[in-house]
Order: sequence, then structure tokens, then C-alpha cells
Amino acid sequence: MPTLVIDDRQVTVAAGTSLLEAAMELGLVVPHYCYHKALGALGACRVCAVEILAGPEQGLRMACLVPAQDGMVVSTAAPRATGMRRAVTEWLMQNHPHDCPVCDEGGECQLQDMTVAGGHSVRRFQGKKRTFHNQDLGPFIEHEMNRCIQCYRCVRTYREHCGGDDFGVLGSRQRVWFGRFQPGRLESPFSGNLVDVCPTGVFTDRTARFKARVWEMEQAPSICPHCALGCATWPWARYREFVRITARENPETNGFFLCDRGRFGGGGVNHPERPRAPRVDGRERAWPEALGLVRERLGGLVRERGPGVVACLGSARASLEASWLLGRLAEMLGTDRVAHEVHPRRDAAARALAAGLGGLARSQRDIRQSDLVVLCGLDPHAEAPMLALAARQAVRQGARAVCIDPRGPRLPFPAGRIAAWPLPWLRALAARGDEGPTGVRAAALAGLADLRAALAAAASPVLLGGADLLGPEGVRALLALARALSRPERPCGAAVALSGPDSFGGGLLAGEPAGEPAGLDALLEGIEAGDVRALVCLESDPLAEHPEPARVEAALARLELLVCLDCAPGRTLARAHAFLPTTVPVEMAGAFVNFEGRLQAFERVFSPGLPIRATGGGDHPPREFRPDTPGDLPRPAWAVLAELQDMPPVLASIRAALAAEDARFASLPALEAGQPGVRLPLEEGAPGTEAAGADSPESGLRLLVTEALFGSEPLSALAEPIQRVALEATPDELGLHPDDAREAGLQVGQPARLECALGQVSLPWRPRPEFARGLVLAARRRGGALEAFVPGLGPIACRLGPAGEGVP
Amino acid sequence: VSDQPQVLLAHRRPGQPRWLADYRATGGYQALGDALGRLSPAEVRQRVQDSGLRGRGGAGFPTGTKWSFFPADAPGPKYLVCNCDEMEPGTYKDRVLLEAEPHLLIEGMLLAAYALGVEHGYVFVRYAYQGVLEALTRATAEARAAGLLGPRVAGTGFAFELHLHGSAGRYILGEETSLLNGLEGVRPVPRLRPPFPAQRGLFGRPTTVQNVETLCCIPPIVRGGADWFRGLALTPGEAGTKLFGLSGHLNRTECFELPMGVPLREVVERHGGGVRQGRAFKACLPGGASTPYLTAQHLDLPMDFGSLERAGSRLGTAGVTVFDERTCMLEVTLNLTRFFARESCGLCTPCRDGLPYVIELMERLEQGRAGLEEIEILKAQPEYINHSFCALAVGAMGPVESLIRHFEEELREHVRRGGCPHRS
Repeated sequence: MPTLVIDDRQVTVAAGTSLLEAAMELGLVVPHYCYHKALGALGACRVCAVEILAGPEQGLRMACLVPAQDGMVVSTAAPRATGMRRAVTEWLMQNHPHDCPVCDEGGECQLQDMTVAGGHSVRRFQGKKRTFHNQDLGPFIEHEMNRCIQCYRCVRTYREHCGGDDFGVLGSRQRVWFGRFQPGRLESPFSGNLVDVCPTGVFTDRTARFKARVWEMEQAPSICPHCALGCATWPWARYREFVRITARENPETNGFFLCDRGRFGGGGVNHPERPRAPRVDGRERAWPEALGLVRERLGGLVRERGPGVVACLGSARASLEASWLLGRLAEMLGTDRVAHEVHPRRDAAARALAAGLGGLARSQRDIRQSDLVVLCGLDPHAEAPMLALAARQAVRQGARAVCIDPRGPRLPFPAGRIAAWPLPWLRALAARGDEGPTGVRAAALAGLADLRAALAAAASPVLLGGADLLGPEGVRALLALARALSRPERPCGAAVALSGPDSFGGGLLAGEPAGEPAGLDALLEGIEAGDVRALVCLESDPLAEHPEPARVEAALARLELLVCLDCAPGRTLARAHAFLPTTVPVEMAGAFVNFEGRLQAFERVFSPGLPIRATGGGDHPPREFRPDTPGDLPRPAWAVLAELQDMPPVLASIRAALAAEDARFASLPALEAGQPGVRLPLEEGAPGTEAAGADSPESGLRLLVTEALFGSEPLSALAEPIQRVALEATPDELGLHPDDAREAGLQVGQPARLECALGQVSLPWRPRPEFARGLVLAARRRGGALEAFVPGLGPIACRLGPAGEGVP
Repeated sequence: VSDQPQVLLAHRRPGQPRWLADYRATGGYQALGDALGRLSPAEVRQRVQDSGLRGRGGAGFPTGTKWSFFPADAPGPKYLVCNCDEMEPGTYKDRVLLEAEPHLLIEGMLLAAYALGVEHGYVFVRYAYQGVLEALTRATAEARAAGLLGPRVAGTGFAFELHLHGSAGRYILGEETSLLNGLEGVRPVPRLRPPFPAQRGLFGRPTTVQNVETLCCIPPIVRGGADWFRGLALTPGEAGTKLFGLSGHLNRTECFELPMGVPLREVVERHGGGVRQGRAFKACLPGGASTPYLTAQHLDLPMDFGSLERAGSRLGTAGVTVFDERTCMLEVTLNLTRFFARESCGLCTPCRDGLPYVIELMERLEQGRAGLEEIEILKAQPEYINHSFCALAVGAMGPVESLIRHFEEELREHVRRGGCPHRS
């Protein structure tokens, strides 16, 4: 712990801290461009010069490169230090286009801030500025190379941190240039981080281009709702229009970065088809009337037919508070028919995880620091993109990675590959060595022994699973394996990617399933039997999310009352007798429980309403003055649910009531947004004995329908930039092993016809030699040909043949 | 020249490399045999340490000291890399040496590898040096066939394999850590130090990078002894002979092997045959394009590392480029700076953007578009550009800084005349 003096102020810092970081700890601003907290020092920009006046090393030094040492006396304002910074600024300004008035970075530009702060105002260089051509880098990122100051943050982020390989540095001397070999969409799912790390306007958010200046926007700490990881975000909005998302720092979760789905998937807030007014019986109503009608009809049904007549269906994208209030509403209506997720298998998996994770839980930070990462049936890019980044950081620091997956998913790091269904492997690994490894092919036994040895030797192993492929049996098997591998001095961790931002919270509220039907299936039987006459749907769209839409359709038709609370246009809304518009997370405060059981709060960024740009008819400012705010009717679901049960719609009191009722959430009332969140005290679940799974198909083709990175997740799929990218990135096609294709008689370039319980479809197909034999993979893009194929079912039997002929 | 002791070029046959038989006929590979038979690696290191040999690649770092930092006894792969990326304007002595004595380098590398416990060596050859690459290719094949390279060098338990690598051709590759990146096949930009190559070099393993001439001095040192080698120098504290590559406005622009410490006047007037057309000596680059100018007042300086440092310059590679009285030193410096700016890798700001800034200032002065203020701006630049990431920009500032130091009056004359006084 060296103690030193910087600008006459003493500071003691951890060993290895650089002078730059030590100065920052004191709150001193030392200009810097190439240094970034997440990337470390490079020593390229030479702007962080300081003068070391006394100590073991003296003279003008780059603050980012010199570790703080005992007895150092450092000046950030010595004439030589400021002279160096002035010189560097002048050199950098030779070629900078000085186009701040038309640059989206203006106002939040590190280069602008540091240049102005350093007093640079006159350009003495009289030569020609060097200029570059820019590239079209796709719908997410705008490229303006003339602004570049060559800090190398972008390549270090894209290539080293994120593992992308289609972007880099080209050229030398004053023609150093950052981009792709040829124009085209950046392929890395983490490309948006270029926007955050670039200290000037070379890489700006194309989806937010020319929409707002930073000082005009509202922002608040929020949580990304586009998967279960709960990454920290700053959403930004201007005049009721969502503008963009930037990464927020949370060392426990995402660190400094975000995936592109999280960053560019927020535009659905302003979706033109978003229903914004309460409706009952097809007529728009004022809130008091709508709430009164819903309350009256629900109460009437209960009075008329007795308790149990109402069912309540929640969702993984609802806030924890709303999910809890939904259960409370059910209680009030005298029913125990509550589900917190439509999809039965996803519901069961989330509940199995919430019940069994306990002390096995690992955060993204833990994963980054692990020395052995075993991915079991997880396609991280699609299901939880930032897990891929977390595992990559582990691998960069020497960890080994192994991937047990029939899909051979794309990973941004080298990994040992086992192209097999994970469940038999999980069981074989958990079994003692002398027990036969049932279900693992003899040829793979060497790999099994090797992996077993690696798991035994690792210091901090962690098993990563994907709930969609594993299902509840697989989740239990994964947790059982992690427990079996744990020793008191060397625990083994587990992490499972669930589907939604509050899947875990819903799982906690629902509790461990005891073999009964889960999800909507738990409610459907009652509806089909005629016992249930009313359904309250909280931010869920069963017609789109349940694997049997026809069955759901029939069931919904039997209801006397369908009440839908939702923030997004969905298919089920059209059937609703009563519709109550709710806010999306950026328009409200609330809390989610992420995949590791971390409770995190988010704040309201802006109030709901139609954007001024949409209501002004092109005029700015709008000429039509009105006392109300158009489109401002959506309310937080927790407020709506509270009012339905005559509770004050006040978040603090709802949280207090929740914490009082359920001790697991005792930390909720004191929870603050913008903080790292609180890992909930998870009980050491005794994982239920898992039934022998039918999850390891021995022969025949099995269809696996999966989520894709872009276009599958319901909220981000409403965002226009995501839709554009999804068309290209998530094509409607089938993938299968070339040998399977040959056996099925498929011809290259000819579409294939697929038949299975989900339906039938003819699609192009692509040979995927990395696949396990027997696997047919289809990624579902909303609005595409596979719309009816709901993911999350695990492998299902299917038949395949050339399109245009009868399937044999 | 014949009265000067010749150590490296004693048997030079202009236009033709000496192959294995010729090399052996004059005692070649005897030093290797002696060392493998009678000296331990530590004794070889000690002999090099005692010899006072300083690196011939430009920096003049004592070779024995450098070797003392090398973990010779550490297990695992270690590398010896010969830097033959001789690309500094005015420097060509390694080409002359290797086109004469390719086996001398091989023997030097074998001895260095033996001393440092290294089993793999690389020679990184400048793109333009196809002749050197051909000579080394043939010589290494000869050595391999004769059992001098391979798993059992000269029938002993010592193993050494030598790999030749032709550069893709940028000056920055001469910087040792860029060179290592280039060898690894990644973008050749300099690496941060520490860790130094002796700790983490090529492929993350301990590596020592040595200049051609330095390595070629090892066999004579092993054979002749440290005292003999020190005695070759004319000035106390210096050691050995030195290859001087002459160029510029001289009557004879050739490469000579002269004792360390030979006076500059002797180099210019005797060996270089004097300034051409009987003109007066104005200045010279004493050791390649990155060394500060010497002027007529320095003609009696001994050409060795210490003396030149004390005179505010550097011996560098001893590539002496002479300029006669009619030369515009601003124009010379502008030309040199353009070279350095062109060869900048673009990693750090002082080099990438500072050098073009200096060029633009000098262009204004040279073209008569500048006032005295530009001279003041120019004067302020070297101090800051010297804080670049690697030594490239520091080297570029050698001529610029000495231009200001020795020829400020000439710069003012440019301002007064509104253009170059040497063009009329």
C-alpha cells in the first residue's frame, strides 16, 4: 500500500495502482485518452503527463504507466507536465476536423473536454488536414474516422476484450485507420461498446444520430430487460422520446460493457402500435372507470361462482413488485391459480433454479474470475450475451473453457468442444468414476475423463447452463453436479441463463414445482374444465409465447373475462375484454431479480407519452398547445395491480409490504438504483430428485428451436434497428449436420420441409458440420417463417425431407 | 587501411561471401570448438562481460550486462534474435559484414546461444537485403550439413537451430520489441517495457536481441580474450574495432573497420578521402540518421561511445554521413524527419502527429513562409517529442535538436532571406 503525494495531497493506494488511478482517487483530473478503466494502460496518447518531483523515480512521466510508489511527490500541474499535455493536444488537433457542431459526441466528448480544459484554442499548424473515407458499419454504429485521435481503445475493446475479429487497425504513421477490411455490419454482438469507449466522435450511436444533445436528455440508472443477466444501463430520453442506451458501470454484473441487444433494443418504448389507453369492451376508458369495471367484474365473478374462478398469469418481464402484487391479487380473489411465466418448461426451469441455486450462485464478476468455465447447453450469444464476454475475460486470464453442446455455438474465445447433448454428460460427470457413464458415447470417454480431471483440479470452476436447452431436469442435473464437485475449500459455482429479466424473481415467488404442470399449463386445465372463467395477464402474451397456440386460443375463447396489462403490442391483447396499459422499465421504477438471484432496482428515466417529434407534426416546437400530455396514460403495472386491490399505488409502501411478507426480500425497501444490487439470501435448496430425462435422443432427428441474438426476445424485437439487423443475422433457415442432410435426401440449394408437433414449414437449410448428429436447429425470429415455433422446448422429434415432395 | 587491425573484415573478399571452407581455413569455428570443449556458458558470459563489448546496433548497451539479466538457467524455451533489420538511412555496415562473412554471424550466434542456454535463434533480415538473406541461407545450410547447427552442435550435447526471417519492410521493425511482434506475425508496434524481452520476449519467453556486428564480435572475443579485445580500442574504457560506413559528400564512401576511438578527422580525411571537390566539411551524422550532428569543431573527437555522448551526440551505428559547406542543414533535417514520420508505426502521438507537425514547421522555414516565431515553436518540440513510446521519435529528434543547437543562425537566415540561403 504505497503512500504518496499528488498535488500536495497525500494518498495511500493499493499496490500496483498507477499514478493516473491514484490521482483519480483523489478526484484530480489528469487528461487521458488511451487509458480506460476496463482496458488498462497503453501509453500511446502521451497526454497524461505528470512530473514526479521526488521519489524513487523522477522526471516527466506518463501517469498511466508508472505504478505509485512510496515517497513519490507528484505534480500534475508542473510546467513541463502541462507543456507536454499542451503539445500533445496541439498535435492531435492538427487533423481533428473541429466539427463539434455537427458531431453527436459534442457535449460528452472526452477530447472536447480535455482540449478545452487545457486551454488549446489556436491551431498553429498550417498544413492540410489528413482525411479518411468512412465505412458503413451497419445499422448500429456510425463511422467518422476524421475525428480519430488514434487512442486504440476501439481495437482493444473490440478485439481483445470482446473477441471480435472483423474490425481492427490498418495502416501506419499518420494514416492509422480503424475499421473493417471492407464495409459491412460489425459482426461482434458487442460492437456498440465502441460508442462508449471512443473518447471522441469516431464511433457514435447510429440509432440515436442527430436526435439529441447530451445535455437535453434525461437519464437514470436502469437495468437491461432483454435477458436474465440484469446488466446495468443508462437509458437516455428527450421530450418523451427514447433516444439510446449506454452502459452503466456495475462491477458485479456487466462491468463496463453491454451487448448490442441490450444497447440497441430499447426503441420499443416508442413503437407506433403500442397501446396507450385503457380499454374495456372495445372502448377507451379513463383509468378510474377502467379500473372500476375490472374490479367490479372480477369481484362479480368471484361472488357468482366462488373462489378459484380467476387465474393470474405473470411474466418474466414484469417487475418483482408487480409479480408479487399479482399473487396478492389472486389471494384477494380467493384463487391459488397463479403462474409467473407462460411457457411451462421455462417456468419449471426458473423455479428449479430459484429453489436449488443457493450458495452455488455466481455473478458475472465471479465468472470473469473463474479458472474453468464449462458451458452446458448454453449458446451465450443468443441467450445471455454478456455471459460470453464474462467467460472470455476468464479465458483471457488463463482459464480453460469447455463447451458441451450439440450446437457447437459460436463463442468469442477458444474452448474445448464436445458436440453432444449436455444432460448425459452432466450425469456422467456427477457419477463416481466406477459407475458407468450412461449415455456418453464410448468414443467420448477420454474427453469425459479429461473434463473430470480438469473439474477436480480447477480452483474456481463454474458451470454455465442455458435453461432453454436444459429444461428443469437439466437445471437440476447441473446444480447436482456443481454440488457434487464442491468441496468446502473449493466450491464449484453454477449459473443458468433464464429467459427474462425477472425469471428468477418469478421462480422465487412461485416456488419449486412439485411435478404438477407449470406455467400457463397449470392454469389451462382449469380454463378448459370451465372452472376458471377469468384470466389476468400481466405483461405476458400467451398466444405468442406458449408452445401450443391453438390450445391457448381455444382456452381464451372460453373465458368470460380476459384482463391484459401490457406495455407492448401483442397478440393476446386483441382478445382482451379489458386492457390496461402499463409502462416499460425506462418509464418506471421497479426491481428485477437476475439469473444469480441478485435483486436490483431501476429508476424511472422519463414519463410515458407520445414523443414531441411524433405529435408536433414536424413543427418544432409544436404549435398545438394542449393541457394534457398525449399518450401519457400507461402506468406501472405495480400501480395498476395495487389499485385493483385497493392498495395505495406507492412503490415504497408496496416494497415495504412485500419485504414484510416475504423475508427473502427484506433488502428491497432500502434498495437503491445505481448500486451493485443485493444477492438475495438463497436457501440451500435440496434439489428434487430428477426424473430420468428423455433428454438424450438416441436416434432420429430432433428439432431444437432456439432464441437468436437478434429478433427473438420480445421487447427488443420491437426496436427498429434490431429488426433490421435480425433480418440479416437471424435468417429463416434450418441447420443440420451435412451427413444428416444427406441421409434426409436434402439437396444443396433446395429448401427442406420440416414436420414436427409445432407445425410444418419449408425453409432453406445450411450444413453445419460442427453440430452433433441428429440435431436440426431453428432460430426463431419474430415475424419470420418460424413465428409459430416457440423456443424453450428442448429437443423434439421431427421429420425432414426435400421440400416439394412428401416427407418419407 | 592495412595498418589498422582487422578483426571482422580481415579476410573480406569484395563481391563474394566466404563460405564454410574458406571461413574454416582462417580459423573459423575454432572459437566455437574451444568454447564447447573447454568453457562453461558462464565462462563465455564472463569473457564477453570482461571484453567491454558494447552493442553495435546503435544504443551501445554493454553486451555482458545485458546478458547478466538473461535467465540463462531458466527451464523452457528461450530465444536469441539477431537484429539484421538495418534500415536507418546512412547505415549499411551489417550488409557489408554479412555479405563478406555470413559464417561469422552463425558462429557468433552459436556462442551466444551456448552462453545463454538458448536452443533457437532467429535472424531478422531487412526486406531490401535479399543478398544477405541468400548468403545466410546458403551459409546456414552449410553449417547444418556440417553438423554445426541442429540437435548436436559439433557432436556435443549442445543443440541450436537457426531460423531466417525476411522482414516485410518497415523501419519500426528495427526496434527490438516491434521486431519480436513482427516475428510473431502480429502488428509490429513496440511493446511496453517492463517486461523486458529478457523476461518476456518472443512468444512470451526470455529473449535477447542483438545486432549483427555485436554477435560477430563474439568469436574473436572468445578466441582472442577480453584483454586483447579491449586493447584494440584507441581510447580508454572502450573496446574493439568498429565498422564505419561512410556516405555523403566524401571522395570514398565505403565501409571500413577502424579501431574504436579513431578521430573523426582521420575517418573523414584519410579513410573517406576528404570532402568531395575540395569543399569544406560542414557537418556529419556520426552514427546514422538518428544521431545528432557533429560539426567542424568536433573533427578531433575520438569516434567512440563515451566521447560522442559527452559531445552531445551518439556513436549510434557509426554510419558517418558527411555534408559539405554548400548543404542546407535544414533541408537535410527535413529530409530525415520525413523518413522518420513515414516510418512511424502510428502508435503514440508524439511520433505519429508530432513529427508531421515538425515537418510542417520546417517546410515553412525552408520555403520562406515563416517568421522567427516558427523557430521558437520548433525549438520547443524535441523536449516533448522525446517522450514518445519508443526510441523512433527520440531518434528523429537527434538531427532536429542538433540543427537548432548548431545551426540556429542558419534558420534565422532562412527567415531573413525569406527562403533557403543555399539556393540562389
